[in-house]
Amino acid sequence: MTVVKLFFVALLLSIKIASAREPELNAQQVLEKMNHAMEVLNYQGTVAFLKNGKLEPMKYVHAAAKGVQQERLLSLNSPLREIIRDAGKVSCLFKESQQSIVDHRPFERSFLVDVPYNLDEMGAIYQFEVVGEENVAMLPSYVVAIQPKDTARYTRKIWIEKQQFLPLKIVLYDNQGVPLEQVVFTEIEVKDSLPFVDVKFLDSIHPAKHIHQLQSQSSDQAAFIVTELPKGFREVFFTRKPMHNAEQPVDHLLLSDGFTSVSIYMESKSAAMQSGLQSVGAVNSYSRTIKNYQLTVMGEAPAETVKFIAEGIKLRDLKD
Amino acid sequence: MPEDLNQKISQFLDNELDHVQALNLLKKVQLQSELQDKLNRYEAISHAMRTDIFLLTKADFSKKISQQIQKEPVYLLSQHKAFKPSHKQIAVAASIAIVAVIAGHSMNDRDQYPKAALAIQVAQNQLPEQPSNSVGHANQAVQDPLNKRINDYLQAHNSSVYTNGEADFQHFARVTAYSHK
Repeated sequence: MTVVKLFFVALLLSIKIASAREPELNAQQVLEKMNHAMEVLNYQGTVAFLKNGKLEPMKYVHAAAKGVQQERLLSLNSPLREIIRDAGKVSCLFKESQQSIVDHRPFERSFLVDVPYNLDEMGAIYQFEVVGEENVAMLPSYVVAIQPKDTARYTRKIWIEKQQFLPLKIVLYDNQGVPLEQVVFTEIEVKDSLPFVDVKFLDSIHPAKHIHQLQSQSSDQAAFIVTELPKGFREVFFTRKPMHNAEQPVDHLLLSDGFTSVSIYMESKSAAMQSGLQSVGAVNSYSRTIKNYQLTVMGEAPAETVKFIAEGIKLRDLKD
Repeated sequence: MPEDLNQKISQFLDNELDHVQALNLLKKVQLQSELQDKLNRYEAISHAMRTDIFLLTKADFSKKISQQIQKEPVYLLSQHKAFKPSHKQIAVAASIAIVAVIAGHSMNDRDQYPKAALAIQVAQNQLPEQPSNSVGHANQAVQDPLNKRINDYLQAHNSSVYTNGEADFQHFARVTAYSHK
């Protein structure tokens, strides 16, 4: 054996030993690291939201310090607006009209992607797998597939950067594998610190419009009962409050399996009711009337799923 | 000196010449048709020795394609005549296709990086087309109470309305393509 051959054998052995020392991460570990990185790192970049066939590029800033986070989006195209999420509250200021909205949403964490903290519980309904490695925004990334074990929900793929574990791309696919929605970073940088921005939307001329000041109520108060749900769906919150006008309260029950969320709305029947299946982008909804009520089930789930849930809903005071 | 040149051509094909030497050799080859033939012969021998398959292309292959393209007329106005492909046109198209395939193969490795840069473009292409029976803006006025109800539901469901470029928040979220099935 020549010296050169011996050298290559030694090189191969050393590579093998080195790789054995660094065990490869599984999908669940990568997602857990991503959840942590999204919370503690300061990062900013340009992100494109592709929904309903529309591209919306935005500047994205995430600031974190002492356990406090702030997420900020600045639209690059009209309507120009700044959106800030902090402490379960989303504030949106429209630059041109100076209209501002404060939306209380304590059950969401990020504009990019919400991955549950406890992924062990999700094992019964989703399979997590690192399906490859690709570059996004010129950064090497793990490609993690979140594949449902039934057809009641959609598949997701998340491209997670290998050094910092930040999500660079998120794609939602329908059951035929066609992309429905995408969130893609075109450039991203991690900083030691980034400033928090004060939300100064309130002024006497343009008062902020507060919506959905949610106090979760007991779903026992709901006018309906959900008899059948796909596996893994659980109640997130229930509220009864006026939605379209002050006189007409609407019951709203939000359900989630961790990744897929579905809302159930019930209100008094009106002429505007349109029964059947409807869709906007990845969101499907199914509406039907039950006696004097109209029911709508809506979510980023296949049409069959929202229909299945809607057809299993009964009025609470009915004995059937 | 011819011996030396032969040696250089052989080394060039084996990728053993440095940049300056290779450049000097190519300059000489460009000026002497004999050397061009020799280079082609050596390349053919080299190919035949390394693989079982060898496709011989004539030296003026790309030049002829270029000439054919030059002969093609330029239409300043769109032509509405029925397309009747001639043998000549088919030959040109086939030649261009071969060049495209060869070029594509040679570019294959370098495609990895542009893939990331074109992520958005690809993503856009991958997005499904809206159904033809989608309800557009024009119909929204007619269906306003219905859309307002759906808008309110969408807004309450999740915060994606804020990242949706179509949201004008007159109704908090404008439904751009709400199809009824």
